[in-house]
Amino acid sequence: MNAPVDDRLTALRGSAQRRAYNARSLAALENNPRCTLRALLDASGSDKAAIAEHAGYPSAFGQSTFALARGNAFEALVKANGYAELLRVLRETLGLTVPEVGNRDLNDVGGDSRQEIRHTHTTRLLVKAAQGSGDSTLYDHPMLRLTVGGYAVFLEPDLVAFRADDRFYIVEIKSFPIIDGQADPVQVKSATTQACAYVIALRDMLRQAGIDPEAAVSDQIVLVAPKDFTNRPTAAFVDARKQVAALTRQLARLERIKDLVELLPEGLTFDLAPDGGQAQRPVEELTDALDQVDATYRPDCLNHCEMAFYCRARAREDASLDILGPEAREQFGGVDTATMVMGLARGELTPTADQSEMAIALRHAARLRAELDQAYRGAA
Amino acid sequence: MTDPLDALEKSISTLRRAIRDAATAGDTERAGELRAQLRRAEKAWDTLIDTGEPATPPLWPEPQAAPVVHGSRLPAREHVHRALMLLGTPAAPKLIVSVHEAFFSGELSASKLSSLRRDEERSYRSSPGARPYYLCPALAHDLLSPVRALVTISTWPLEQRIIGPLSQRTDFLTGTVGVAQAVGSSGEAATPAAVRLLWRLAATIPDAIVRSASGLESAPDPQRVIEAAQAELDVHTDADRATRAEAARRARKSLSDDQQLFGSQLHNVMRLQAQRA
Repeated sequence: MNAPVDDRLTALRGSAQRRAYNARSLAALENNPRCTLRALLDASGSDKAAIAEHAGYPSAFGQSTFALARGNAFEALVKANGYAELLRVLRETLGLTVPEVGNRDLNDVGGDSRQEIRHTHTTRLLVKAAQGSGDSTLYDHPMLRLTVGGYAVFLEPDLVAFRADDRFYIVEIKSFPIIDGQADPVQVKSATTQACAYVIALRDMLRQAGIDPEAAVSDQIVLVAPKDFTNRPTAAFVDARKQVAALTRQLARLERIKDLVELLPEGLTFDLAPDGGQAQRPVEELTDALDQVDATYRPDCLNHCEMAFYCRARAREDASLDILGPEAREQFGGVDTATMVMGLARGELTPTADQSEMAIALRHAARLRAELDQAYRGAA
Repeated sequence: MTDPLDALEKSISTLRRAIRDAATAGDTERAGELRAQLRRAEKAWDTLIDTGEPATPPLWPEPQAAPVVHGSRLPAREHVHRALMLLGTPAAPKLIVSVHEAFFSGELSASKLSSLRRDEERSYRSSPGARPYYLCPALAHDLLSPVRALVTISTWPLEQRIIGPLSQRTDFLTGTVGVAQAVGSSGEAATPAAVRLLWRLAATIPDAIVRSASGLESAPDPQRVIEAAQAELDVHTDADRATRAEAARRARKSLSDDQQLFGSQLHNVMRLQAQRA
């Protein structure tokens, strides 16, 4: 990334400390790539939670402590007694053979848990494994690194399994249940998106060591989760090929941030002007700054973006169709707001050439509704 | 305002000295009691510093009668020792507590275990060899650094206390054999907790538990569990033993006595790595 763009991004962030991308903001990148506001805030490393809070929309975002505790407890259970449960499910799904039980704990290196040191240690062991001279199958909490928009981001998968057929598999341990072979699709998608970042980071690492990355890292994710209503883990393959490709493309397009920055008005900043831990910037000034950037709100933003409540309020104010979600949004091609939809339906607005088809459909719908309404009232 | 602080500080240092003396004499009961007093005094000192005035009346160490030691109430470290001897392998606190609850009486909690581990190293450093055994962490085979999640007994040979890539699995299997033998020898008298523990451990070992045609699992048969665990153990043992023996040789050569028990610190690790490179 070139220097002027960097300077502009630093100016956007202001005096706050730079926030690195993490697995969640990378997931947001894949989920809502069109959102300019999110792209700018993430690329500049701004503290989205603090900005949203100061703008008056504190997110109840962040994982609930109960969910976190539950997740950690389940992971501990799966890994307890020398990975006993995990080995059982991996033997069933991955088809690990009996001798494949070696494990390495990469949570720290001789008591030192600094990211750089763990990353070096991880690289050494994983490259060795890929070259065929490793002694282990399970690598617990390896520390991977991914370069996003010119900055290094450290990522930490729950586990990487190395199978005898010379392939790495990312193993995600999640505490939502798989009931009768089915799990909540939203949860599965967010888990796989997270895992995609790991796949890309691991492939990067191996590519640098001169190993064919596509062959060495599977794009099938192993999802380990509680079976039915019990606490016993089960595992399933999730195909992440499409998501890996999508995220790879988004990462490559991060360079595009340059074009976005150039469109911004001079002097725009999301600085909160903090003084002694308290944001001093007038709220109107901040919201004015935020309003100058386009945001593309989607209902599923609520799952992963701290700014979601702010964007939703803004979308509602503008009567934008975004709040109805992409399913409804796509039905109204070329029409952006609820006021316009209503205007066309009532025949109060004259449709442009490309809206004419939509207008006919809307008027038809309005007529049907009116008829039903009448019939209902007549009956009552 | 400085007066109560001064008095507290004085009593803190007196307490510290007394604890050291008690530890040297090997009087664990007394040392534990003094430690509790020390913590109270330190807490009072903290509150004083924070508020500037005594929030609670400072709790002065009062001479207390030594608590009556019940024959059945062994100190926690004895409980841990007993459970570890049954397993015969390094084990995580959770497993130690489960084994204890399944086979022995008395109270032992995971939180107590973690404070115990800190005390053990301190006690060793103040007077090495004063106790017949110490509870110490397992050692990682590559860096010879402590693996704090696993507890071992100092009297075990280094080979048993070192953890290689395969060791967690072999230890798990060996431990399961230990539990199965204990359940088998108590026969009908085995507690439900013991049977449950055996079932939980055996459920992850191939062919250890008989499944009926309908997929239901029956109660574990200790003999069958032992055979199944032994069968998998045979696959791993040789490779695991070689790694452990090699690491133990290296540890004996390069580590001091206390490092052989409590592991090598990181700067030593770096030096070792440099030497090897």
